[in-house]
Amino acid sequence: MKKILSTILALAMVLSLGAFALADDGAEITFWSMWNEGEPQANVIAEAAEAYEAETGVHVNIEWKGRDLNTLITAALEAKEDLDLFEDDFNRIGQVDAPYTYDLTEMAEAAGYADHSYPVFNDFSIKWAGYLNSIVEQPNVGGVFYDKDAFEAAGIEAEPATWEEFLDVCQKLSDAGIAPLAQDGAYTNFSFYYQLVRHLGEEGIAELRENGGWAESEGAVAAAQEIIDLVNAGYLAEGAPDEYPASQNKIGLGLAAMVVCADYVTAEVNANTGTEVNWGLFNYPAIDGGAAPTAAYMGANSLAIPAYSEHAQEAFDFAIFLTTGEWGQKLADDCHQIPADPTNECTSLPGAVETLLAADAPMTWCGELNTHPAWQTMKDMFTELFEGKYATGADFCAAMDALYE
Amino acid sequence: MKKNKTLIFLFMAPTVICLLLMYVYPVVRTVIMSFFHVESLTASTSDWTFNGLANYFKIMHNAGFITSMKNFLAIWIVGGVFTLALSLLMAVILTSGIRFQGFFRAAIYLPNIVSAVALATMWVQYIFNFDYGLLNQLVTFLGFDKVRWLSTDAKLWSMIAAFIYGSIGYYMLIYISGIEGIPTDLYEAATIDGATKSTQFFRITLPLLKGIVKTTITFWTINAATFYLWSKLFSPVQTEGSTIVPVVYLYDTVFGGKGVVERDAGAGAAVGVVLTLIIIVVYVITEKLLKSSDLEY
Repeated sequence: MKKILSTILALAMVLSLGAFALADDGAEITFWSMWNEGEPQANVIAEAAEAYEAETGVHVNIEWKGRDLNTLITAALEAKEDLDLFEDDFNRIGQVDAPYTYDLTEMAEAAGYADHSYPVFNDFSIKWAGYLNSIVEQPNVGGVFYDKDAFEAAGIEAEPATWEEFLDVCQKLSDAGIAPLAQDGAYTNFSFYYQLVRHLGEEGIAELRENGGWAESEGAVAAAQEIIDLVNAGYLAEGAPDEYPASQNKIGLGLAAMVVCADYVTAEVNANTGTEVNWGLFNYPAIDGGAAPTAAYMGANSLAIPAYSEHAQEAFDFAIFLTTGEWGQKLADDCHQIPADPTNECTSLPGAVETLLAADAPMTWCGELNTHPAWQTMKDMFTELFEGKYATGADFCAAMDALYE
Repeated sequence: MKKNKTLIFLFMAPTVICLLLMYVYPVVRTVIMSFFHVESLTASTSDWTFNGLANYFKIMHNAGFITSMKNFLAIWIVGGVFTLALSLLMAVILTSGIRFQGFFRAAIYLPNIVSAVALATMWVQYIFNFDYGLLNQLVTFLGFDKVRWLSTDAKLWSMIAAFIYGSIGYYMLIYISGIEGIPTDLYEAATIDGATKSTQFFRITLPLLKGIVKTTITFWTINAATFYLWSKLFSPVQTEGSTIVPVVYLYDTVFGGKGVVERDAGAGAAVGVVLTLIIIVVYVITEKLLKSSDLEY
């Protein structure tokens, strides 16, 4: 009896192994995703993976790691974990993960990727890593996002291009009973940084970061004073700077008209308030005589392949399959994001593709300032600026200089 | 029975090996790492560069770390005084034989059952909300102007208040278990002798709870030193100076942050060592100041 049982078990084992061997006739790539299962992006990626497998026979094994992936990925790459594709901020991929990423240059050329991508992101990737090491999945652009219906209700016909025009728009909105500007505390550093960039440019701010001298900088004092005047004029929504995302949600609730942020704010507000805001976007207004009148924040979540991957071509093909053409369009439509492929249409934010393609002076996220040792204190001071804690721009700049002592 | 040393060793080996691998090794590695320049947490030791005490000097001169230590002290001292005092008060009340004590125990402990993420979100997005929050509804009902509970000045204290709310139940249960261990005949004798309730509390309950108080102070110190989740939820997008705590600073130092690509695992390890030393120092001081009672009961 025992012998029969042993023979049956052995047979079952051999057959199982055989079945695995037969099933393993196609390649398999392992993809670590920064999304969580059930999120719009995850749904599209999962569908695209199935479609890719049906078309090529390559199975994409997706592991949903969530946002904490950015804390895991470098260690995983160092340990040569079994993965062929991963997602992260393109800035981190370009600077932190670069030593462990695959050079995509040849594959990109063969696939004609240049015609389906934004030069600004490719240029940054090459500048940081020395070669193209990421494929953009979710491009972001910063600026002033506004409710077109609110503008129409206030009789505003043109988007403001200068600070004076912006203040005029604020006044018209205010007169129409709509709070002009939503502002959450989480993004006060971003808003004020924009104001600073318009006066000093990123190079000027890097100089301030390094050596201080805020009070001697006419641009810094003027930028702070303009924010103080904006607050004193009552152009911020009630309660602003509020706790994220309370203030930005006011746009979806019809209580505010504009917000300075990156484009993901549109999807967030729509989802949080259950509305479909008629979004518009214009670049942060220029300052007369300022340094960088057209600079705009650009960022992206991108895909990269570990240098040690044995299925780099398959992983690259899937990245292109997901981000361009039909699936790139679906990703843009379902996730209310800017298409990663500029030949696709941006249905959620008309004009965003053109803005990214025309980007000649891309801004980083608060540039060099966020590497200052007192950055957390600085951020609180930027919020205090919007809270009306400083009487003048000179007071604010003097307080900033005190951080260098 | 003759002792079989080999067998004892074999039985102990799995536990000892697990302890060495999972506890002693990371601790020793962290301490050593704190004296080296190490960019990545998982970098090979061959990539480490000896740095002496530079990592410690670096964090001690860093404004972010100093702010985080100030916030830690506020949480530890202010939060500790309120949490431990209130939980002791609740414990005394709930062991005094009041009606519905089972219900009150459950109600006060309830926040500990709810996920801390849900609890903090409720405080941030509802109770402290400027427009429709519970507190501002109360404030406007009383005829005052709305308050910005999460402004840069108020945020730390709001966070501490919310954390106290979430912590009282846990410490209350510890105190209740201590109080219930005190023999009731001590109180009966004191009552016959004419001692008031407050006299009984200060002369019987409190002295006999010394050991429990020491434990709760140590637990609270560990809680305050490893405070992380509430800070993250009170500054969800990026770390803010008003709510930064040492562990958040450590995390940002080791892994970078939004738009920050610089990483320093060595400095992060130094923060970890400093926090551990603080806990040890507090433990030793508490042991010295609150000597265990010689009373037996």
